[in-house]
Amino acid sequence: MSTLKHTLEEAVFVVTGEVGPPKGVDLEECLDSIEKIAGHVAAVNVTDLQSAVMRIGSLAVCAKLVERGIEPVFQLTCRDRNRLALQSELLSAWSLGIENVLCITGDHPVLGDHVEAKPVYDLDSVQLLKAASSLNNGLDMTGHELEGKPELFLGAVVTPEADIPELQILKMEKKIEAGAQFFQTQAVYDVPQFESFMNRVQGFNVPVLAGLVVLKSSGMARYMNENVAGVKVPESIIREMEETAKGDRKKKAVEITARIIRQVKPFCQGVHIMPLGWDELIPDIVRSSELM
Amino acid sequence: MHATIQKPVEEILSYFKSGEKVFVVGCDNCAAKCHSGGVPETEEMARRLKKRGVDVIGWCVPQPPGVSLCKLSNTKKVLQEEYEGQIKEADSFLVLACGQGMHTVMDATDGGAVHPGCDTIFGGETVSEDFITEYCSLCGECIVEYTAGLCPLSLCAKGLLNGPCGGAKEGKCEVERTRDCGWQLIYERLKALGRLDQLKDYKTPKNFAKWNRPRSLTFKEGEAIFKSLAGEHRVVNHD
Repeated sequence: MSTLKHTLEEAVFVVTGEVGPPKGVDLEECLDSIEKIAGHVAAVNVTDLQSAVMRIGSLAVCAKLVERGIEPVFQLTCRDRNRLALQSELLSAWSLGIENVLCITGDHPVLGDHVEAKPVYDLDSVQLLKAASSLNNGLDMTGHELEGKPELFLGAVVTPEADIPELQILKMEKKIEAGAQFFQTQAVYDVPQFESFMNRVQGFNVPVLAGLVVLKSSGMARYMNENVAGVKVPESIIREMEETAKGDRKKKAVEITARIIRQVKPFCQGVHIMPLGWDELIPDIVRSSELM
Repeated sequence: MHATIQKPVEEILSYFKSGEKVFVVGCDNCAAKCHSGGVPETEEMARRLKKRGVDVIGWCVPQPPGVSLCKLSNTKKVLQEEYEGQIKEADSFLVLACGQGMHTVMDATDGGAVHPGCDTIFGGETVSEDFITEYCSLCGECIVEYTAGLCPLSLCAKGLLNGPCGGAKEGKCEVERTRDCGWQLIYERLKALGRLDQLKDYKTPKNFAKWNRPRSLTFKEGEAIFKSLAGEHRVVNHD
């Protein structure tokens, strides 16, 4: 059983991290930064060509993590592969010792650096979850028996700060019916809204990890608001960062992230921290959040 | 309605060999609505090409008014009866119409050489004289019964079938800030119709075999047969 699954079942507050693979084959820096955070998190998400920028694959990096005894969460998007390739990738992941899979839609190619690429989206995230559940039951999507079946721990994403929470919750329910066993959310900044969202989904009885993006600067926050799908940093936090001296930015980043973690802890089962390059801050964040 | 936009005249010029005798053909239905191949546009294209040294031997937009170029029987009759001489003399036909119209000219001239004068861009609704927009992607398996008449394949940038992704901001799609999130539009309309329950049902993956080209439709004894890579789909339209 995956450690992530086990820890969530034990109702221990879980912390997961995240890393984005490089554009190229030099993995030293990427793996080094993961090694730094590995001891402080239950698992590390490896993104799948995030922002539709071509990079080395999540599968390869996850396999490297397994080699190093670090538990990965394999992010698998619907953007680039049809249903044949998606099912195959799930089987490949299992065969490489990967157990946790986050089944997501994927940022559209026009956001990335190969804007003329053919967007696939043969399946959506709900259909992908259903396909993965089917594989777990020893059958492919068209009902054929598998020679050996995986036991993947399936995750999905939800956006608590979406314009229409009701729509997100409707889809969340479908994801659970299709087999989602845990959720990681898009970045949370509005704690009361998150609390109200969690009150509405508590009854689903599926663990939710609140997503947090570690903000490096007000410039970065504004850039993400403009260019990164699913992230909305409020003006109040941007101002807080603007008023921080350059030398104190890392300290402020830890402070803001830890503060939000402390505030959301009562209503969720864990947090998913996206350090976006400042991986070395994770130990401080975990400590300041009084999670230990 | 097939929306078309003329190719730039420089590109069209590059299609012709020196001394090539060209006959220009337009369409009085869709291309006329798109101002790409109606009577005034076809006449103007013939004039512009002549001015640039192309041997344009004539032009026509098959009548009666409003009849599509892609109706083979009419196009064949008009070209072979009213323009018999020019058709025989022409080395090629520049077609100002959609791809279907262009192929019709090939058929109507018994295999004549054709040059595309337009790019066929989408199937659209003629909202007004100068605005045409796409609401249907011609996918072959319509599901808008469950989405308040709005097509998620056409309105959602990712063509998702089970609800929105997490990328929308202030009701706008992640691909373009001016574009509405298709699923938000569907949600609002379903809500207004009191049918939000329809969002709860799991939508199965799309059958892309129905989208593989070329497809055909035949009629036989009151039965319509849609042929695609997914097989023959037969529907009787009477009791």
